[in-house]
Amino acid sequence: MIDEGLQEQAAAYALGALDAEETNAFEVSLRVDPELRALVRELRSVTEALAGTAPALEPPAAVMARLLLEIDQRRASAPKTAHDRPVSAPVSAPVSAPVSGPIGVPVSRPANLWIPWAVAAALAVLSVAFLWQSTNVRSQLAAQANQINELTISAELARSENADLRLAVVKLRESNRLAKFRIALLDSLLAASPKAIAVSVWDNDRQNGVFIVRNLKPLPSDKDYQLWIIDPKYPSPVDAGVFQVDAKGNVRQDFRAKMPIQTANQFAVTIEQKGGAAVPNTKAMVLAGS
Amino acid sequence: MMAGADGNVAEQNQDAALIERIRGGERAAFVGFYDRYSPLLFSVAARILGERKEAEDVLQEVMLVIWNKSGDYDPQLGTLSSWAVTVTRNKALDRLRARTRRLRLIEEAAILAEDSGVTSYPSANEIVHGRERAELLRDAMKELPAEQRMAIELAFFTGLSQSDIATRLQQPLGTIKARIRRGMLRLREQLGGAL
Repeated sequence: MIDEGLQEQAAAYALGALDAEETNAFEVSLRVDPELRALVRELRSVTEALAGTAPALEPPAAVMARLLLEIDQRRASAPKTAHDRPVSAPVSAPVSAPVSGPIGVPVSRPANLWIPWAVAAALAVLSVAFLWQSTNVRSQLAAQANQINELTISAELARSENADLRLAVVKLRESNRLAKFRIALLDSLLAASPKAIAVSVWDNDRQNGVFIVRNLKPLPSDKDYQLWIIDPKYPSPVDAGVFQVDAKGNVRQDFRAKMPIQTANQFAVTIEQKGGAAVPNTKAMVLAGS
Repeated sequence: MMAGADGNVAEQNQDAALIERIRGGERAAFVGFYDRYSPLLFSVAARILGERKEAEDVLQEVMLVIWNKSGDYDPQLGTLSSWAVTVTRNKALDRLRARTRRLRLIEEAAILAEDSGVTSYPSANEIVHGRERAELLRDAMKELPAEQRMAIELAFFTGLSQSDIATRLQQPLGTIKARIRRGMLRLREQLGGAL
């Protein structure tokens, strides 16, 4: 029976969440305990299943072509070893790439032999991709419309001062899983705290969000930071609650708006009296962004 | 329940044979592995990094590790694909750590915002394992208590240490360790033979 302490370490080890020292110590136990190894093996399969919850993406065919190119270049420059041996073709291969010898290859083979293989592999992958695409025209069209939309957003954001950062936000939205969220970056408006930054992730369907702040100066006990959502539906910003930061200036907070939000255009943070205000004190705005 | 000792031994033998072929420089074995698992590895890298171009680079690096350093793989500690996932995660996180603090903050926020865990997009599991098995995996994730799922996802996809997660979620370290342990063991039980 594996005790809870070891189970905790095994779970964290399988996820890659142990630090270097903890990993070394755990691997000592792992070497001498077959039951623990079996547990780790099963938990790594759990980790693989977890990894597979990522949104499905197919790598471009060019990656395979680049890989074959790199492998052949290395083979061409590697000295022949005693382990070199001819290898027979497998019974079945998913892609009809030519079968080659081992990593070390006779130097007499032409160095550019990779070209037809790489082309053949790329063409084979492209053919499969084409077939797949032809059966998914409708979803492709929808994806293209989405892409045009994202590109428009991207172009608008590119004009902003933080173009690279905002582009990263757009890329995150592109990954499907975040399509339903409104993600906003709030920059510091305080010359004294230029490193302060916040991210707001708003789910309009569920009318709630997550707000993360870093490096914002802690306030005296009679003051609060207050988050506001700017929605064109309302004449003034909508109260989204008050918060305090910890000693390092950090906080993570779930939030809801006091009014139903139709479009969360912008987010802002002001300093207010304890408990918050009905309307923002715009002269005490510390963070803002869209 | 899990697939059982016989299944594990058969899997280990299969992986050992495949890795032996790759180790021997058999390109078809390598291409076969790529065809089956590259969507999973690419999707994981893209999820961690939030973009495709760098994910392509990671996928290429990982496949070269599998080609050149397959000796590092230990069949006793997991399947070849789970090892490849671990290598992918580590390489993607190396790149993530090289990014600015602001970019990392966005990615962390994204995971926290997804704490419902109810996703509508097709997952990489669907490509690799088919829809039925992918749905089983998704349902198991959905049934996990939100606080356990969040701790597990933060650990895997952002590379935060357990102490960092405790700080971020404002919970004692022991609570985070227990959530990860309970969540992983529960998933193991729920997924059973699907793994």
